[in-house]
Amino acid sequence: MQRRDFFKQLGAVAAVAAISPAISFADEAKKLSGPNDLSYKAAVDAITGGKGAEESSKVNLKVPEIAENGAVVPVTVEVESPMTDSDYVKSIHILATKNANTRCIDVHLTPSNGKAMFATRIKLGGTQDVATVVALSDGTFLTATQNVKVTIGGCG
Amino acid sequence: MSSRKSLIKIKPKSYKDGEIVKVSFMVMHPMETGMRKDKKTKEVIPAKYINSVKFDYNGKVITTMNVWESLSTNPVFTTYMKVNGEGKLSVTFSDSTGEVHEKSIKIKPKG
Repeated sequence: MQRRDFFKQLGAVAAVAAISPAISFADEAKKLSGPNDLSYKAAVDAITGGKGAEESSKVNLKVPEIAENGAVVPVTVEVESPMTDSDYVKSIHILATKNANTRCIDVHLTPSNGKAMFATRIKLGGTQDVATVVALSDGTFLTATQNVKVTIGGCG
Repeated sequence: MSSRKSLIKIKPKSYKDGEIVKVSFMVMHPMETGMRKDKKTKEVIPAKYINSVKFDYNGKVITTMNVWESLSTNPVFTTYMKVNGEGKLSVTFSDSTGEVHEKSIKIKPKG
């Protein structure tokens, strides 16, 4: 198994070295002509209405630290909340900070969900931070971020 | 309406009234970003991605989603739901080309 892992890593390094100049050039082009271009800060402002979000341990963001395939990256967001009519999680937003379009999904929850959790699979264009912004019913916003290393990009 | 393949899974399989269960909705969908090129013809593949999903339980909306192109091909949407009597759970989605699809299952709590 060790031998196999070694060859895998060697292959990955060689591939990245060969492709990286082409990727950076393509990224420049995409930045200029992206169809849904919204930077991470602009996206957070759009969600929170300029208020900004606070880092919190109540939000549990589960993403693999190293994703071998950027086309399928499992993401799970869990929020500690009683989910009653007076105190519940309004929405969960998942953001990929360096994708051409930062916003992946907005999930609007209601108290009849019973538990504030959402899981899906996203595409990542390269190594970047995956973030989540959570809106609570009392009008505050919480956030959590985690870096993900991507060996093979999933976009384009 | 289309003949797209989709599936709703509930965990655990047998549940009681009032229990909180895990609901997964899976669908076979290409989720094209509109930025990818066909390797043979060098033409840009037009964008086709799901942009909204709705979970409906006995006529009451429990979860809605706004979706963009960075979700994986054949996406999965997993969340929780409180069982509240017998009825129908239906999931509707629409995509950027105007395609609409609906899938529904019966909810039958035991005991």
